Amino acid sequence: MKKIALITLMLITVFTLAACNREDIGDRIEIEFWHMSPVGSESYSGMRRIVREFNESQEEYFVRGTGINFWDYWDRVNIAIASGNAPDVGYHTLDNVILRASNQALYNISDMIQADIDNDVDTIDTSVFLDNQLEFASYDGDLYALPFSATVRMLYYNLDLFHDAGLTEADVPTNWDELYTVAKQIDDVDGNTINVLGFDPSFGEGWYHQYLWTAGLDFFDEDLNPTLNTDRHLEILEWMYTFNEEYPRSTLDAFGEANEMLGINPFAAGRVGMMIATDGLYETLRPLEGELNYGVAPIPLPDEDGVRVNWGSGFSIELYDNGDAERRDGAWAFLKYIMDYDTQLDLADTIGWLMSNIPAMEAYAEGNEILEAFVNELDYAIDKVYVPYAPNWHAIDWDQFFQQGLSGELTAEQVLQQARNLYIEKRENYEAAN
Amino acid sequence: MAKNKQNKNSLGALRKQEKKLGYVFASPWLLGLGIFGAFPILASLYLSFTRYRMVGTPAWIGLANYRALFFNDSIFWTSLYNTLYHVFLSVPLGLIVGILLALLLNTRIRGIGIYRTLFYLPNVVSIVAMSLLWLWLFQPNFGLINQVLLPVYNLLDMEPLGWYRASNLSKLTIVLMGLWTAGGSMIIYLAQMQDIPRDYYEAAEIDGANGFQQTIKITLPLMTPSIFFNFIMGIILGFQVFAVAYIMTQGGPGRSTYYYGYYLFDKMINDNNMGQASAMAWVLLVVTLIITLLALTLNKYVFYLGEQD
Repeated sequence: MKKIALITLMLITVFTLAACNREDIGDRIEIEFWHMSPVGSESYSGMRRIVREFNESQEEYFVRGTGINFWDYWDRVNIAIASGNAPDVGYHTLDNVILRASNQALYNISDMIQADIDNDVDTIDTSVFLDNQLEFASYDGDLYALPFSATVRMLYYNLDLFHDAGLTEADVPTNWDELYTVAKQIDDVDGNTINVLGFDPSFGEGWYHQYLWTAGLDFFDEDLNPTLNTDRHLEILEWMYTFNEEYPRSTLDAFGEANEMLGINPFAAGRVGMMIATDGLYETLRPLEGELNYGVAPIPLPDEDGVRVNWGSGFSIELYDNGDAERRDGAWAFLKYIMDYDTQLDLADTIGWLMSNIPAMEAYAEGNEILEAFVNELDYAIDKVYVPYAPNWHAIDWDQFFQQGLSGELTAEQVLQQARNLYIEKRENYEAAN
Repeated sequence: MAKNKQNKNSLGALRKQEKKLGYVFASPWLLGLGIFGAFPILASLYLSFTRYRMVGTPAWIGLANYRALFFNDSIFWTSLYNTLYHVFLSVPLGLIVGILLALLLNTRIRGIGIYRTLFYLPNVVSIVAMSLLWLWLFQPNFGLINQVLLPVYNLLDMEPLGWYRASNLSKLTIVLMGLWTAGGSMIIYLAQMQDIPRDYYEAAEIDGANGFQQTIKITLPLMTPSIFFNFIMGIILGFQVFAVAYIMTQGGPGRSTYYYGYYLFDKMINDNNMGQASAMAWVLLVVTLIITLLALTLNKYVFYLGEQD
């Protein structure tokens, strides 16, 4: 009897707790929103408040936010989309909106904006977003997503190390020659030990495709045929490989790995004089305010003919087509709320990302030199092209060859040749299956 | 004669009952396999003949995925080679180390339980923690292993080994790292050793056999069922190697640790090519099956204690 009573009590407790967990939403339509502010993260309570404020303003819809860790998010959302269980609203990567749009996984945002205009209802003003981001969010002339965040890369420079080397802010490099000269002045190497490295093109967010773009080149031509076969491609890769050639590779590796394995950012630790990084590094450096004297500048160009262009990756926000018109309308209402000026400002402060609403970001950055520089740089942002036969062309497809070149196992020429061959092979296989 | 027939009948009934009980005990697993396993397995077989980018509807393309893998995918062959290399090296080495450990720890000394626990302990460490730990140990420039080996390098006038950072050593490094968990198989060997009747050793001692001879002639032959079990399991698990490379080397350097499972994962997650990833899964199944069937032919050398005439 005692046992039965105990089990009953336990069951009641479990069910009560479970019931307490879900808010009573009455007859409101529930909208599912996936974000990257999970329980325990710094931005969790802020994101929860933003969602709650929407819910409090609503009689018709109720948004249930689910925070998922950045590293888990991609697998989960991709599998959810594949299995038809996607949330109503979620983030994704802006550069491959076309994949989901062309497979009818997303609602047409242009249609919704048009419907609002036709019904004389407040709608999203797309002029607040960057044109190049809108382009990536489009498919077949229509918008299928909206840019949610905006990221660019800049050259961070450590002014204390500059001063130690007898340099000032006026010496911050603008081209590759200056970059080399300044970097070598900052280098502090003791035998086989690097104490401070001026700059290394492969550190941080130093990407070969970014350097190519500034030289007016790319991995692929307009028809998405792999290039990588010109002398200039080779020259730029060799520039990356030989920038610090006076130090043995093992010494450079030891320097890089020591930072990586200790989990320290070499720039934050004052171990590199200059490093290319996103605004994410600014967030990392915030707690060091007053301790680290630094600034940011545009990434140096190859020479006076260089093109000022910046890899501006960002997240999109999408409405997944779950075939339910009521939920679609609720998701659209929430999207309008989350993309408006005030919420975008709030989100930037909460998550620490630069958001896509440019006027909001200008207001957010006002008075902050670093953030202002980042927001200004957004004008030069472009995203990497989506290559259907090699969606990961800039990462593992390329990186394995690039690393072999860094370690000296392959020459720069072999790296380019082998990477090109891989892209060609992938293209052939893609075409055979399509 | 009649009594014999009756005995046979009751033995048959007993076996039938035993069979029934076997099915009853296995039924939760069989149901699980049928409900949660069979559908994904069959779905992946279907998907392997389709073009499926993880969104939209799969489109039937016949054997195109298999053709692409076999005839126009250099990384497919590299990853298969890396995996076979891993299996052929890690399985025998794992068996040897496991058996040696079991032989060493099959003694009656004080605190033997503690030693056994210590050797088994790595098996309960998470693979992420283990990989990070060995990353530090094998680090070519400041890792403990190269620091310990420094006098040897100096003596031989050679450069310190690059371990996981050198493409010619990276696979071996991962195999060596895997030996740290040989304590798992050691427990199985030890269990079987405890099962060997003491009479055999006593008879051998009377006949003048020394410890080594007893090990070779009695212990090892009677351990063959567990050796065979670990051999087969080692092959199957060896083909699935993935996590260590994913954490430690990211498939590098130069795709030298880009194992089959890793490539399959990339095909699905990074290339959004579920069709080809499914085809890879089925190729792996066939390869594993063939090698396992070949390995099973060694069953005739296995001595089962309870089954001799």
